[in-house]
Amino acid sequence: MSDNPFKIIRPTDQPPESLKKDVMGSVKFVMLLMRFVQLFVADFSISAFDKVRLIDPDTGTRKKKN
Amino acid sequence: MFKSRVKKDQSFTDEELVSLLQKDMDTERFAVLYDRYSTRVYQKCVGMTRDRDLAKDLTHDIFLKVFINLSKFDHRSKFGTWVYSITYNYCLDTLRKNQRHREEDIDERTQEGTPMDGSSEAALLGLRAERLDHVLTELDPTDRAVLLMKYEDELPITDMMAALGIGESAVKMRLLRARERAIAKYRELYPDES
Repeated sequence: MSDNPFKIIRPTDQPPESLKKDVMGSVKFVMLLMRFVQLFVADFSISAFDKVRLIDPDTGTRKKKN
Repeated sequence: MFKSRVKKDQSFTDEELVSLLQKDMDTERFAVLYDRYSTRVYQKCVGMTRDRDLAKDLTHDIFLKVFINLSKFDHRSKFGTWVYSITYNYCLDTLRKNQRHREEDIDERTQEGTPMDGSSEAALLGLRAERLDHVLTELDPTDRAVLLMKYEDELPITDMMAALGIGESAVKMRLLRARERAIAKYRELYPDES
C-alpha cells in the first residue's frame, strides 16, 4: 500500500502550540462548573429534605426524628 | 512529586487513564490523553475540513466533548476508536451545518449482501495523489469521511460500523457509493484522463 494516494496526501500538520493551553483552560472551567453544580445539587437536596415533616398517619401529629 | 506523578500517568495505558479519570476528574491526567491524541485528531480534522482554522476550533471542541463524556465511555471498544468516532461525527455534523448540504439518502433496506466492488477500489487507488486531493475537497463530507476512514486510516469495517453507527452492509454500501462518486468527480474535473 506504499503507493496508496490517500497516504501521500495525508495531512502532516502539527496542532498549534496555543491549542493545548486553550483546551486545558476550557477543561478546567468545565470541571469547575461540574463541581459547582454537584455541590449545589447536593446542598439543594439536603436542604429540601430538611424541610420535610413526617406526619404520623394515626395521630396526625409530627413524627419525632430518630 | 508532581513531575513523578505525571511520569507515572504517562506509563498508564489509555484505558487505565480513563478508568482513573472516571473515578476522579483530574486535568493534568487528561492532559496526558490530550498529548497522545491531539496530533491525530487535529490531522483528522484538517483532512475532513481542509481548513486549518476550523480544524483548530473543532479539535478544541472535540477534546472538550471527550472530557465531558468520559463517564459514558464503557470500555467495550478501545479509547482511540471512541475518540475517532467522536472526531468523525463532530466534523461531519459541523460540515453539514456549514454547507447546509443534505447528503443523498441511501436506501439501506436494499443493502444486504452487497459485495465490495474491487474494480472501483483499484480505480480509486490508481488516481494521481495531487488530483485526488482536489477531488476529496469537492466531495460531499460524508463520502470524504468514509473514504478517509477506509483508505487513509485503514480502519477495519467493525470500527467504521461503531464510528458511523450503522451496520456492516450499510458501511460497505457507503464505501461503494463514495468510491463511485469520487471517480465520477475525478472524471468531471480531469476529463483528459478519462
